[in-house]
Amino acid sequence: MTAGRLRRLPVGRATLLLLVVAVAVVLAAGLRTGTAPTTGAAGDPIPAPALDGATLDGGRFDLTEARGQVVLVNVFASWCGPCRDELPLLADTVRRWSPHGLRVVGLNLRDGPEAVRALLAETGTTGLTVLPDPDGTQAVRWGVRGVPETFVVDRDGRIVARQQGVVTRQWLDQRVAPLLELA
Amino acid sequence: MSWRRLLGALVVAALVAGAVAGLLRSSAAAPDADPVRTVTQGLRCPACQGESVADSQSPIAAAMRQAAAEQLAQGRSPAEIRRWFVERYGDDVLADPPARGLSLLLWAVPALALLGAGAAAVRTLRPSRRRRPVAAAAGRASVGAAAHRVWWVSCAGVVVLVAAVALAADRLDDAQPQAGPADPVAVTLQLARDLERDQRYDAAAELYREALRDRPDDGVQLRLAFALLRAGDAAGAERTVREVLTRSPDSPDGLLVLGLAQRSTRPGDAPDTLRRFLAVAPRHPAAPEIRRLLGA
Amino acid sequence: MLGDLGTASLAAGLISASVTVLLWLRVALLGRSARQARVATVVTLLAAALACAVLETALLRHDFSVRFVAENGGRHVSGYDTVTSLWSALDGSLLLWLLVLCGYAALLARRRHPPRLHAYAMAVVGVVATFFFALSALAANPFRSVHPAPVDGPGPNPLLQQHPAMGVHPPLLYIGYLGLVVPFALALAAPLAGPEGRDWLRIARPWTLAAWSALTAGIAMGAWWSYAVLGWGGYWAWDPVENASLMPWLTATAFLHTMLSGALRRARWNSVLACASFLLVLLGTFLTRSGAVASVHAFTESPLGPLLLGLVLLAVLASTLLAGRRDPSPPDPGHPPLLSRATAVLVNGVLLVTIAAVVLIGTVLPLLTEPLTGARSSVGPGYYQRTAVPLAIVVLLLAGVAPAVRRAGDRAAARQLVLPAVAGSVTVAAASLLSRPGVPALVAFGAAAFTLTGLAGQLGSLLRRRRGVRAVRLAAVLAHAGLALVALGVAGSSAYGRAQERTVRTGETVRVSDVSVRLLAVERSASNGRMAVRARLALTGDGADRTVAPRLWYDTARDTAVTVPWIDTGPRRDTYVTLLAVAADGSTATVRLAVNPLVGVLWCGAALIVGGGLLAFAASVRRIRRRPPTSTPAAPPAAAKVPA
Repeated sequence: MTAGRLRRLPVGRATLLLLVVAVAVVLAAGLRTGTAPTTGAAGDPIPAPALDGATLDGGRFDLTEARGQVVLVNVFASWCGPCRDELPLLADTVRRWSPHGLRVVGLNLRDGPEAVRALLAETGTTGLTVLPDPDGTQAVRWGVRGVPETFVVDRDGRIVARQQGVVTRQWLDQRVAPLLELA
Repeated sequence: MSWRRLLGALVVAALVAGAVAGLLRSSAAAPDADPVRTVTQGLRCPACQGESVADSQSPIAAAMRQAAAEQLAQGRSPAEIRRWFVERYGDDVLADPPARGLSLLLWAVPALALLGAGAAAVRTLRPSRRRRPVAAAAGRASVGAAAHRVWWVSCAGVVVLVAAVALAADRLDDAQPQAGPADPVAVTLQLARDLERDQRYDAAAELYREALRDRPDDGVQLRLAFALLRAGDAAGAERTVREVLTRSPDSPDGLLVLGLAQRSTRPGDAPDTLRRFLAVAPRHPAAPEIRRLLGA
Repeated sequence: MLGDLGTASLAAGLISASVTVLLWLRVALLGRSARQARVATVVTLLAAALACAVLETALLRHDFSVRFVAENGGRHVSGYDTVTSLWSALDGSLLLWLLVLCGYAALLARRRHPPRLHAYAMAVVGVVATFFFALSALAANPFRSVHPAPVDGPGPNPLLQQHPAMGVHPPLLYIGYLGLVVPFALALAAPLAGPEGRDWLRIARPWTLAAWSALTAGIAMGAWWSYAVLGWGGYWAWDPVENASLMPWLTATAFLHTMLSGALRRARWNSVLACASFLLVLLGTFLTRSGAVASVHAFTESPLGPLLLGLVLLAVLASTLLAGRRDPSPPDPGHPPLLSRATAVLVNGVLLVTIAAVVLIGTVLPLLTEPLTGARSSVGPGYYQRTAVPLAIVVLLLAGVAPAVRRAGDRAAARQLVLPAVAGSVTVAAASLLSRPGVPALVAFGAAAFTLTGLAGQLGSLLRRRRGVRAVRLAAVLAHAGLALVALGVAGSSAYGRAQERTVRTGETVRVSDVSVRLLAVERSASNGRMAVRARLALTGDGADRTVAPRLWYDTARDTAVTVPWIDTGPRRDTYVTLLAVAADGSTATVRLAVNPLVGVLWCGAALIVGGGLLAFAASVRRIRRRPPTSTPAAPPAAAKVPA
């Protein structure tokens, strides 16, 4: 009976049916992959945008002067809960890897200096280099989509990895460690 | 009569002309339009869902508005600014995707729908002559054996439908472990601990009390007592800790907090309590400090 | 304990739904009596009701050993919000969905329509119910137990706790969505039922009208919720979930018109549109329930996506095979005049189908580009403004032409359009001289004036009639006037709305045209796992001074901030104050002040549309009551032919 129906199916409707099935297959494929945020390598390495200015403790930071070092740029803010959880790991990373040529700089997005100092004190990360970005334009230049977000800049000043959301120790081990001269 | 007609037609024509003139006037850009808003309306906020940069209240959208304003002040054209953002955020930062590739479907699908539905409408209004009535093949009453066969096939179909859902659900279930829900009491406790670390003991004690209301727990009650002690409320601390000690008289932390509290409320009883603490938990991290206190 | 009872009721529902399908098929194919099938349908309804009642009880008794309660309940949540949290997350809302679906099935089962058509339609409804029972029992069971049971839960999504409309909006939408299953089932059953099937359109009429009214009300209420809670000042964002509700509404509206127009009773448009409406409901369910699209109200991460996609495919297959068969009877001879009702209804259908296609591709395209090209893309409001809005304006103009085409002859009809055209032109000319609202708004104003004038004329002639007014006519006038008012509200609020956002200290003011607010104080409070900030502001303008207090609160358990705007509703305009942020020390606050004109007109228009729909529904029910279905002598009961 069904076969008979199918044989009598007009061309127009058969085409429509095929089209719907094709779209459904694509949708199913999309569901499988899911809308994962871009993690890990950001495609081909691209030159890092400029990043410079006065740091929170009164010094200066310029990314171009950090050429030759691996730089981990972490965009954070005191009003962001996950950033708070992430900071101790970053401080630990500084301790572990700065002898091997890693610099960590926190880009503080649209925040007040007092709030940041309180956050750093609370998380025990007062040693971190923090670059305030009160109006957020530096972050926009980097294409930041939200906080926290972390970029890895290699010795030649190219972004080789980026992570939206919280970074894990495993991610750092995978993305940063190979760039360093670990004994 | 023809005069009246002519007059009427003239009035209508004048009105229509006025309306068209108004439309033309409106089609020019309004002079008071905010250029920053015009540009940022065409950008999608990357941190939000379906909001434009102009409308979003998220900090990153505010930063993007600022960046756009700065570039406009430098004399860049809106097109250049849009390109600048695309370089950094990709094509999906544009509220309207560029008309190429798959995005052409945005125009092709409605056009096809319009054509298809229009053709169908024309056919409905002007049925063609050559269409002969189709023999009423469909819907013959199914009789006898054939109907029974169809019924059995349908039974199998329903079973297959349910089985397919069951199978698929089973496979999907394994793939997606459920994350545990957030626990407000745990959140309160975390906040209290943070406050304690900031040496804001009064506020921390308040939060511990709130947590205790929802979930009575000796550990939390001891933390509350300790926070009260550190806030300078030794009497309150003693009261709180005694409740714990009536339930478990040998709790080392209870004895410790009680002893410390008694040092200011009843200095005579304090050494006894602290000695009991040392006897119960000689290896407690606080033990050396207490020995020093008692020795002094 | 409660959890086990709930799971058992879902299992019972699944079994009885499957049995219902088979029993109705037995009625249809073998001509058996429908009594058992009716009983089974009612049993299915009872199972769904029991499942809902059990989950509601578990929520109210804070039984956190039930998974859904652990994830969405909370001791700090008010009673009303606890009741409505049944549909605040996916698994619970599926139960409500089932309840509504089985309710429709039971209502349809009670009717005594031509037996085979009725039985086939019931079988189709039963298959849909079986699928959703299977989904709920096997893939998204809210009653699974949690070990160890937490002592408290996070409460429902804080955005959903903010407005009384949340209690009504989802049930109304579900009543609208699932009501469309009846015309769908009848359209599929008609070709199977032979000559009896001719009658399907008459049977489908009250169901479609009821579902359409509920859907309209649900959409309007969703827009109201979005306006009053989300705090961004708008009511429609072309968000995927909003689009998912709009698509079936568009095709259902087109179906309503072809269905009610006598000339198109035999056209294939009816069955195609009836099927399309329910298919779009299923597609919308897939889009919103699978986590496929990101949106304010999408329920995140669920395993149901592939299953729902499967159901959509099954339904497409069934409708392509069955619906839209040519009617074997020859079409009516003769050409209708160009300006006839049939033409107007068909043009309306073409336009609405095109708008539905616009919304469909705009919603689905981002899902297609990612797997195909790897790049993310988005479709913003700009696209819809360039495509859907002009088409909608033409639809509005058509509603203004509708009263004229009742007249015989093209010339008489054209003459009747002169006055509305003059009114429209005057409006456009005046509005463009007095202000600069932009071309789309200007055209919308003109179209609304054109339509309203035409409708006023028709209303006058309807009321002048000696014999009783035909309710359907009156309903059409009401609904079309409502549409014009909605257009007026949308155009006015988007063209003349003004907003200003500033960070102010205490004592400073924010001003928009003649309205201003002065910050008096910022107050904080913390309780029940939420931190609330309230700003008190003195509002000046409209000849009255009052204190307003928009709020901002942060739900610690869900890590979500919610802005609760203060809306001062007036007949001419709304004043809309939102607190966006406060400084840590409470010295400054970021305040957004907006003046939204004509928003009230928009809600009134929506209410008129719903009123029109309900009036037409009541009329069609009365008509069916008055005239019991004529038995079709052409089809003797199939039972007579079947040897037992």
